[in-house]
Amino acid sequence: MRIFNIILIFILYLYSYPVFSANNFNLIPIEVSKNVYVFLGDINDVNNNNGGAISNTGFIIGDNSILVIDAGPSYLYASKVIEVIKSYSNLPIKYLVVTHHHADHSFGISRYLEIDTEIIMAEAEAKRYLKYGNRSLRQLRDLIGEEWFLNTKINSFKNKEKKYPINLDLGNRNITVELYEEGHSDGDLIVKDKISNILFVGDLVFTQRAPTSPHANIYNWKNYLDEIMKKDWDYLIPGHGNIVKNKEDILQTKKWINFIDKTANEASKNGVSALEIFNKGLPNFINNYKLGKETWYRDLPILINKYEFD
Amino acid sequence: MIKYFLILLIFVYSGVTVAGPMSDFKAGAELSEELSSSPTGKRNTPSSDSLIQSIDALNPENSSIWYDLQDHLLGKDINVLFVDDIKLIMQDYIEEAHKVPLIVTLPKRLHNFKNFILIIENNPIQQAMSIKPYRSIEALGMNIRLEDDSPVRAAVLADNGVWYIGSKMAFVASAGGCSTPACDPSVEVCETGTIGKIAIKQYEREAGAERIKLKITHPMETGFVTDLQGEIIPEYFVKNIHVDDNEGPIADITTFAALSSDPIILLDLPKKGQSVRIHVKDSLGLEFFSYKENNTM
Repeated sequence: MRIFNIILIFILYLYSYPVFSANNFNLIPIEVSKNVYVFLGDINDVNNNNGGAISNTGFIIGDNSILVIDAGPSYLYASKVIEVIKSYSNLPIKYLVVTHHHADHSFGISRYLEIDTEIIMAEAEAKRYLKYGNRSLRQLRDLIGEEWFLNTKINSFKNKEKKYPINLDLGNRNITVELYEEGHSDGDLIVKDKISNILFVGDLVFTQRAPTSPHANIYNWKNYLDEIMKKDWDYLIPGHGNIVKNKEDILQTKKWINFIDKTANEASKNGVSALEIFNKGLPNFINNYKLGKETWYRDLPILINKYEFD
Repeated sequence: MIKYFLILLIFVYSGVTVAGPMSDFKAGAELSEELSSSPTGKRNTPSSDSLIQSIDALNPENSSIWYDLQDHLLGKDINVLFVDDIKLIMQDYIEEAHKVPLIVTLPKRLHNFKNFILIIENNPIQQAMSIKPYRSIEALGMNIRLEDDSPVRAAVLADNGVWYIGSKMAFVASAGGCSTPACDPSVEVCETGTIGKIAIKQYEREAGAERIKLKITHPMETGFVTDLQGEIIPEYFVKNIHVDDNEGPIADITTFAALSSDPIILLDLPKKGQSVRIHVKDSLGLEFFSYKENNTM
């Protein structure tokens, strides 16, 4: 009987595991500069240990308010982020900049709406968020479990037409939000904090892992990367991976998109299907990137199809 | 008491058993055994067990419905041979079950086949398409729907009256390729293209051979999806595609709603022809032409 109880407790323990770990996204912010913080996302793919928290989230504290960059993958994650921010400052979180619509950056929006944060997101991307949100939410739930997405909803929100660049004042702290249309996504937002000279560039730049390009216009994206390299900044916070100090680190992103673009272009010219390219094995180039294989399998067919029939 | 608990913990962490919350999930597409040395299988827990599971699932003896399907789709009292030189190239692990690309390559001895039927065993609509060719075809491709994990089988009727069958096991991450809407208008903004829009591409392959790709914009409703009011959206799909070029007919293709919306069909022919064109009929009797029809058709 006692053993039975132990086993029972043990089974309960096992099945409550995601709840335990959900309480623990390992959210320890890195202070990049005074009052500028970053939570680095897991560089693995979405799985049931990281709860989808694979992208970077930032926050900047001014004298009267706080700005957050990216909402993260879920209500739960956003709640945790807000909790941590509260432990740093009691000022209101006035703005949330969502750099683009992908799930790992936008699905926490529902939590910020509850605390009356103003959401800033490119109009085209807000549309995509509504259009594809529920489908990807369903897929993510199937993939890593309902528990991670409790209360996560795809909400429409006020996103009145804005003229970019937007200038915001957090109280003796000026922020600029710039729009980069049809690059990595239909509208990527870049946040610049003037005091610290730090740039949050969302998924226009990836470090460590392979860049994802399902909604990309690669030609524009490459030009944007050149622009970002020429800009003046001390630190650059990519959407995924480590904080960038050296401009050369941006080349990883450029090399990848060049490679996948070239492959897709050639394939579409010759009518070759992605499956046939996969069949030949993985190009060595892919091995230089974390999640290279997964990203290659996912994005190449999308690009080829786009180039072939659009 | 603690001792037992620890023993159990060690038991689990040594990886002996227990999928579930702690399973080591690996996301991303994985390729079949012919494509990579580490085949996956069972969703969430790729392991060598998956391969065994695939092999089991592909064995028709283990299938509860294969022999009924065979009688129904291929005919009774026929010769059937399961072979491994009909290659079904598709991903093992499928993220988007509404649109699954597949290429079937045929061995030389089957290039002059008489009939080709693509069967997805565990689909509510099991037959995706059939092709009766007028010329030899070396490979064909299509986009299909997968309702759930399923063996996918290409049945090829040869000159000698034997049905040769190639098989491949496919696992889906998120079930419902036939029964859930690809885009749900209650919560998403859906855009649909113009029904009946046709795109044809011709490519040159090695030694004067040709590849044809057709894309037809069509919803390919399965009849298993409900709309906003909970009403079933009736089935509505492309039924026939007649393909020809300046040298005459190439193939008659019969299609079903187990092909994905906006179906793409690929045909590899040994010789390049000129001005490929198609004539499409759908289940409501609408007809679409890639060329200007004349009144006698």
